Amino acid sequence: MTVLPQGSEISRRRLLQFGAAAGFLLGTGSLAGCAGPTGLPGPSTLTLALNRSLVSLDNKLNQFDAAVTVQRSVRQGLTAIGPETKPVLVLAERFEMTGPTEWTVTLREGIRYSDGSPVKIEDVSTALKMYKQVQGSFVAGFFPEFPAVVPVDDRTFKMVSKKPVPILDSLMSMILITPAAQNKPEELQEGVGTGPYMVTKFNRGAGTYSLKRNENYWGPKPEIENVEVRFLPEESSRVIALRSGEVDIIDSITPDSREQLAGLPGVKLKEASSLRLNQIFFNFRKPAGHPLADPRVRQALSMAIDGEALVKDVLVDSVTQAEGVTPSSLTGYHKTGEYVYDPEKAKATLAELGVKNLTLKIIWETGEFPSDTSVMEALVEMFGAIGVKAELQQFEPGGNILAWRQGKQGDWDLLGNGYPSPTGLAITMLQGMYSGTPEKEKTRDTYQGYVIPEVAAKIQAASAEADPARRTERLNDAQQAVWDTWPCAWAFVPKSVLAHRERVSGINLAPTNSYPLVDVRLEA
Amino acid sequence: MTNYILKRLGQGLLTVFLTVSTVFILIRLAPGDPAVSYAGPLATNEQLARVREQFGLDRPVLEQYWIFLQQLFTGNLGTSYSFQAPAMQVVAERMPYTLTLATASILLTAVVAIPLGVWMSRRPDTGKELGVNVLTIAGQSMPDFWTGIMLLTGFAVLIPIFPASGFATWGGLVLPTITIAILQIALISRMVRREMTANFAAPYLTVARSRGVKNSVLTWRYAMANSAIPVFTALGTRFAAMLNGVVVVEVVFAWPGVGSLIVRALETRDYPLIQATVLLTALLAVAVQLVIDLAYPLLDPRVRLGKAATA
Repeated sequence: MTVLPQGSEISRRRLLQFGAAAGFLLGTGSLAGCAGPTGLPGPSTLTLALNRSLVSLDNKLNQFDAAVTVQRSVRQGLTAIGPETKPVLVLAERFEMTGPTEWTVTLREGIRYSDGSPVKIEDVSTALKMYKQVQGSFVAGFFPEFPAVVPVDDRTFKMVSKKPVPILDSLMSMILITPAAQNKPEELQEGVGTGPYMVTKFNRGAGTYSLKRNENYWGPKPEIENVEVRFLPEESSRVIALRSGEVDIIDSITPDSREQLAGLPGVKLKEASSLRLNQIFFNFRKPAGHPLADPRVRQALSMAIDGEALVKDVLVDSVTQAEGVTPSSLTGYHKTGEYVYDPEKAKATLAELGVKNLTLKIIWETGEFPSDTSVMEALVEMFGAIGVKAELQQFEPGGNILAWRQGKQGDWDLLGNGYPSPTGLAITMLQGMYSGTPEKEKTRDTYQGYVIPEVAAKIQAASAEADPARRTERLNDAQQAVWDTWPCAWAFVPKSVLAHRERVSGINLAPTNSYPLVDVRLEA
Repeated sequence: MTNYILKRLGQGLLTVFLTVSTVFILIRLAPGDPAVSYAGPLATNEQLARVREQFGLDRPVLEQYWIFLQQLFTGNLGTSYSFQAPAMQVVAERMPYTLTLATASILLTAVVAIPLGVWMSRRPDTGKELGVNVLTIAGQSMPDFWTGIMLLTGFAVLIPIFPASGFATWGGLVLPTITIAILQIALISRMVRREMTANFAAPYLTVARSRGVKNSVLTWRYAMANSAIPVFTALGTRFAAMLNGVVVVEVVFAWPGVGSLIVRALETRDYPLIQATVLLTALLAVAVQLVIDLAYPLLDPRVRLGKAATA
């Protein structure tokens, strides 16, 4: 065996020195980074953390709550849903119904995009076209028809439809305006808008956006110069980032996190009623003769549910029980009744109706609403207390709950689900959930098989009514008709909750779970 | 040598091809519909059908596979449904984050674990060695999500030295790196200790010691040189594994790497994004393995690539 020459040996001391030096370099590399800011926002920078990745700066395909705040700070519509869930003027200085099927709109004078180019009528007509053309459009479904844009002069145009669309001013809040030449029938991830901020940098993969004050903004200039948008999918990460001061605002907070953040120094909470109705909805595809096909059985089952206990103990006051078929925050809401807890009456009614050995299958998708599993487990106990057995089947996101909901994969009795009204109107929710027709049911495009022609006719009459007073009357009538069919065993309205650092003020949280970034201030 | 490299490259590419093909089949066998994830729960069946048509999801699986193969050879795996952007581009935007975290973690592991393992092997059956051994077992036993949360609570909230999430500054790299490295250091240092202990007991070392070779030379030039290959292989393999994303750590620290990306892609049944992520990470893993193989002769001159080793 050849012995290596001794002169070339590496001493242990030298190796340890080398190791220490390498460790020092590694350490100082990191520490050098830490010597600067440790991720805390600067005095003129607001940092928001979203729970979903903002992959688009318009909402052609999807609109989730937190994105609305950012999207509308870059791009704007002719109108927006205001704090009272009524449409307010944004890019339009006039937006009024001038005929049964005609609206007259005038653009604000001198409004420009962030690149300095003027807003034109053509941009509005192109935006409508693009929202209509995109496959799987989120927005298109809310429009009974897309109106034609007929220019009158440079700033004024008419929006003409074949049938009356009395809620067009609300619907147009969802159409964000972009220069016609840059608009495409797909989600836009960059480009210019008319909002108070403009995008300077973004990383779609990481979900981060950097916004800067738009000097061409037509309204009062925002006080905050820069806004950083980050994507933190895990709620625990968002809470920690807020507590450490790394992030200024987090939203879409669950009851657990709300409890954790309440009363913490330096952190404040904001709440608003939301535009979403969460329900335990009955399956309306049951054949005649099935117990659930009888509204009296459905009403009796609803009496088994102790809604107050669920609100207080399970959902920790983060929701309110519904007292109608839409959330009370919606324009056009009508109080139709209350969910009453009376298990004795429930038992007696079921016995009277000859319902015995009833077993209910409850299905839902994880994350449909906060504490979903706990709510469902409580329901099993409550139904059990009146002699009704309940089974639970939970689906993971991305799974095949849709096939189940449509009755293609298996039978079920109750569904945990939620339905939003981004327009802020009760009629939108009524049309989406309760306007099912036999034709739609053929393709399983109704809301869990809810096809009641009298109800659909009342909703249709209300939606086509141009006279506000008569529309309200018809709307109330339609909502009462829905309530009387007992579509839900229970329903509740979640509150929108956000948390922010003390240095942030001017957050006017609306029921849309969004707030105008232009109003937000940073204290020293 | 050239033949060996070509052969290994061929094997590597075949591995990548089989991997992406298997993933192609498996994700289509899984329940769920990408069209629903794309168009949302309120979409009508007609809208869903149009979305399926738009993305070619209505075509027979074999036809979809043929299209996928064509895309594979052009490097364009289609448009991500959820990002509305070329899938490869989305993954490429995330890959630097994963590479940074993996590199930092493996460097920290190597710098700490190798000297620690050597130190333990030189002090068998002592109180100090027992103490360090207990620490390494603890390091192996702690789940990384727990370690991460503890580090976050300690050094981002209670004593806010480092950022809690993301990679806005270099400080953001520290906590996730340490979280990953704790487990790796525990594993590698114990491996180094085992290899070194075996070599210290080997006859060639007894002979060398009897000839008066210094302890430091015995340790580093003899025992360590013979332990280098398995240790280097283990480090390389762990590095390659990290390139697939360290999912749990990425989630805890909101690290925008490919691990959290693929979780999201799976949730939304974003086929192009899943395929692009698997393709890119598989290519990188194969490349790392090739580099490890090519480095063997540098670590041990007796190794002849492509031939039987000669003593």
